[in-house]
Amino acid sequence: MAHTPGQPVSAVVERIEIKKLRQGDNLILGFSIGGGIDQDPSQNPFSQNKSDKGIYVTRVSPKGPADEARLKEGDKIMQVNGWDMTMVTHDQARKKLTKKGEDVVRLLVTRRSLEEVVKQSMGPWHK
Amino acid sequence: MEGNGEISDTDSGIILNSGSDSPTTVTKDVTTHTRAMKLKHQDLKDKLEICLLELKKLCIREAELTGRLSDDYPLLPGEKPPQIRRRIGAAFKLDDQSIPQGTKDSELSLVDAELALQMKIFEAARKLCDEERLGKAVKKSRLLQYKREEKKVKRLQEVAFQLRLERGRSSPHPAFNASQDLGTSDDSSLSDSVVQDEEVISQLTQLSCTGEAEASSQSFTNGSYISPSVTPQPLPLTPRRSPNPSINSMMSLTSSPADDLPPIQHSPWTESSLDQPYKKSKKSRSSSKTSSPTKQELLPPLEDCLAQAGVPVQLSHLRLSRSQSNSTPSTPEMRVHRQLSLRLSSPDSPFERDRGRTRSSRRRLTDYKINLPETSPLSNYGNHAGSEDSNSEHSYTSYNSSPCPELQSAFPHSSPVGCYGPPAFPRNGFYHNSRYQSSPNFHRGYHNEDMVYPPHLDLARSYYAQQVPCPQNRYEYSAVPNHRGPRPLPPNPRLSPSPANYDSPHYRPSSISPQVVNEQLKSWHRRSQLKTPRSRSLDRQGAIRLKNAPGQEATHYQSQKYNEQVIQRRAPPAAADETPGHWLVDDSHFASQV
Repeated sequence: MAHTPGQPVSAVVERIEIKKLRQGDNLILGFSIGGGIDQDPSQNPFSQNKSDKGIYVTRVSPKGPADEARLKEGDKIMQVNGWDMTMVTHDQARKKLTKKGEDVVRLLVTRRSLEEVVKQSMGPWHK
Repeated sequence: MEGNGEISDTDSGIILNSGSDSPTTVTKDVTTHTRAMKLKHQDLKDKLEICLLELKKLCIREAELTGRLSDDYPLLPGEKPPQIRRRIGAAFKLDDQSIPQGTKDSELSLVDAELALQMKIFEAARKLCDEERLGKAVKKSRLLQYKREEKKVKRLQEVAFQLRLERGRSSPHPAFNASQDLGTSDDSSLSDSVVQDEEVISQLTQLSCTGEAEASSQSFTNGSYISPSVTPQPLPLTPRRSPNPSINSMMSLTSSPADDLPPIQHSPWTESSLDQPYKKSKKSRSSSKTSSPTKQELLPPLEDCLAQAGVPVQLSHLRLSRSQSNSTPSTPEMRVHRQLSLRLSSPDSPFERDRGRTRSSRRRLTDYKINLPETSPLSNYGNHAGSEDSNSEHSYTSYNSSPCPELQSAFPHSSPVGCYGPPAFPRNGFYHNSRYQSSPNFHRGYHNEDMVYPPHLDLARSYYAQQVPCPQNRYEYSAVPNHRGPRPLPPNPRLSPSPANYDSPHYRPSSISPQVVNEQLKSWHRRSQLKTPRSRSLDRQGAIRLKNAPGQEATHYQSQKYNEQVIQRRAPPAAADETPGHWLVDDSHFASQV
C-alpha cells in the first residue's frame, strides 16, 4: 500500500456500507480510527509501510454497526462517501465519518488479506 | 559448542594414551585445565546473563519511576532500548528551592506557585499523553488534557509575567526569589510586555461575558489567579519557576530529556472512537479528571457530559434538574456565596446573553439566601460542607454556562482564570473559582449524584423543599416536569444527618425588619419576580408539600406572595449572620473576579 505521492493508488478495495446506529443524539459507528497525515505514522501498528499516513481502523466494537458491515480492525480506509481518506488529517477523517446528517457511510477499505486473496486468485496468470 | 567436542576428543585421546610419557600428561593437565576454565567461563557467562537480566529489570523499574532509562541499561549492539512506561504519579516532585516566603509579594509568589504546579501538571499530562498502549478514549482525553494544561501553563505564565512587570515598575526588587531576577530582566523588552498586556486584556473581555463588566486587569491577575493557587493543592507549593516565565519554562518542559516529543507536525498516533459526535472527545477526559483537583476545570461542556452518560435528555431539562440540585443545600457559606452572586448579578443585568437563564440562577440565589439557616456558620459548614460545595459548584456552573456558552465551546479551556482551582477548595477560594469554572465537570458530578443516589430522592426533596420557600421562581425551567422524574435531585447523603440545622432557621421567627434587607437583593428579587412569571410544575410542588409540610411548614407554601414576603424578611438575618471576615474575603474575591 505504499504509494508515492502523485502516483495513482492501486489497491484492492472492499465496499463497506455502515448503517449508523442511533443512540439518543449519537450516531454510533462502532469503530475507531487512527492515523491521518497529522499523526506519527511510525506508531501505526496496522500499516505495512510505516510511512503510511492513511486512516486505519483501529478497533471495531463487536456487534456494532461496523462489525456487522464486516469492517475489520486494521482496515485502511481509502474513501468515505467518496471522500478521499488517504491524505487527510485525523480530524478531517473523523468529521467525514461522523457527520450527523448521514445515517449511512460508505467506505472503501483495503486490507492485506484482500490483496492476498486477489493475488492468489490471479497468481498464476498475473504475475 | 565446538569447544566441547574438541575437549572431549582430546580427553579421550589422553585417556587412551595414559601411562605414557610425561609430555602427554602435561598436555592432559593443560587440556583438563582449559576444559575446566571453559566450564567456568560458561558458568560465569550464565551468571552474567542472569545479572544483566536483573540489571535490565532494575533499570526498567528505575525508568518507570524516573522516566529516563538509565545509562547502565545493558544494550546489546543493535538492541533497541525498551519502551518505558513511566509512572507519572511517582514522578511528581516539587523542588523546594523556592517556597513562597512570607506575605510580601504574595500574589506573585502565589502565581508562581501555581505556575510551578501547573507546570508539573502539564508535564504529567504530556507524559500521560505520550504513553503507549492506551485505550482510545483515555488517549484522546489525555491528549486534550495535555493541550489544556498547556494553555493553562501559558496563561499562568502570562499572568506571572504581568505581575512581574508591574512589580518591576512599582518596586525595584522583584522580591520573590533569585530566579525571579531573570524575569525582571525580561521586562526590558517592552514589546513583550505589551503583548502580554493585550492578551490579558483580551482574556478579561472574555471573562466579562460572565457578567462582570468592571473587570480590571489588575484585579483579574491578582485575584482570580491567585485564589485558586492558595487553596487547591495540599501539596507543598513550591514555585519552581524558570526565569523567563513565558518562554523558558515552556521550553524546559518540552525539552525534558525523558521523552522527546515527535516533531510538531506529527502528533502521536492516536485513535478516536467514532461512536461519539466529534466534540465529545473531551468527556472522557472529564471522567478521568474528576479525581484530581487541578484537572477539573477542563471538563467538557454539559452536552458532552450528557452524551457520555448516555442520557438522551434535552439540555433544558438537564439544566432544570441542575438548578434543583443547586437549591438543595443551604448553608451559611452558601449565604456568603449568594450574597456575592447577588451583588454580581446587578451588574450583570445589562448583560444580555441568555437572559432567562441568568435570571433564573439569580433567582435561585436569592432563594437560597432567604432560606439560609441561622445556625452558626461553622457547624453548618461542617455538616454540609461537602454537599454544599458540590451544590454550589453546580449552581455556579450552570450559572456560568448559560450566560456565555460560546465561551466554553470556543475555549475548551474556557474559564481561563478560575479553572486552576480544584473542586475541593476551601470555600473562599472555591466560590471564587467556581464562578469561572467551566461547567462541564460539575455537571458531570451532578449527574453522577443523580444516578447514584436515587434512593435518597425523597430526602433530598424534602430538604430541598424546606430550603425553598419560593418555589415558583425556582422552577422556571420546569416547563417539562417529566424529566425530573428520571433524574432525581442530587441527594446529598450528608444532608440527611442535619435536619435540625435547616429546620431551625425556618421556624425561627423572622423578626428582622425589611429595612435591613440589602437593597440590591430587594430590587433584584423584584426584578426577577417580574421577569419570570413561569410557574413551577405542580407535581413538584405537591411532592414537596407532602413530604415537608407537616404542621407549620405548610404555611410557608400556602401562597406565593407569602413566600416572597418571607423571603424579604429573612434575607436580613442571613446578611446579619455574615461575619465581617467572610465579607471581606468575599468582597476581595468579588473584586478580583470582576
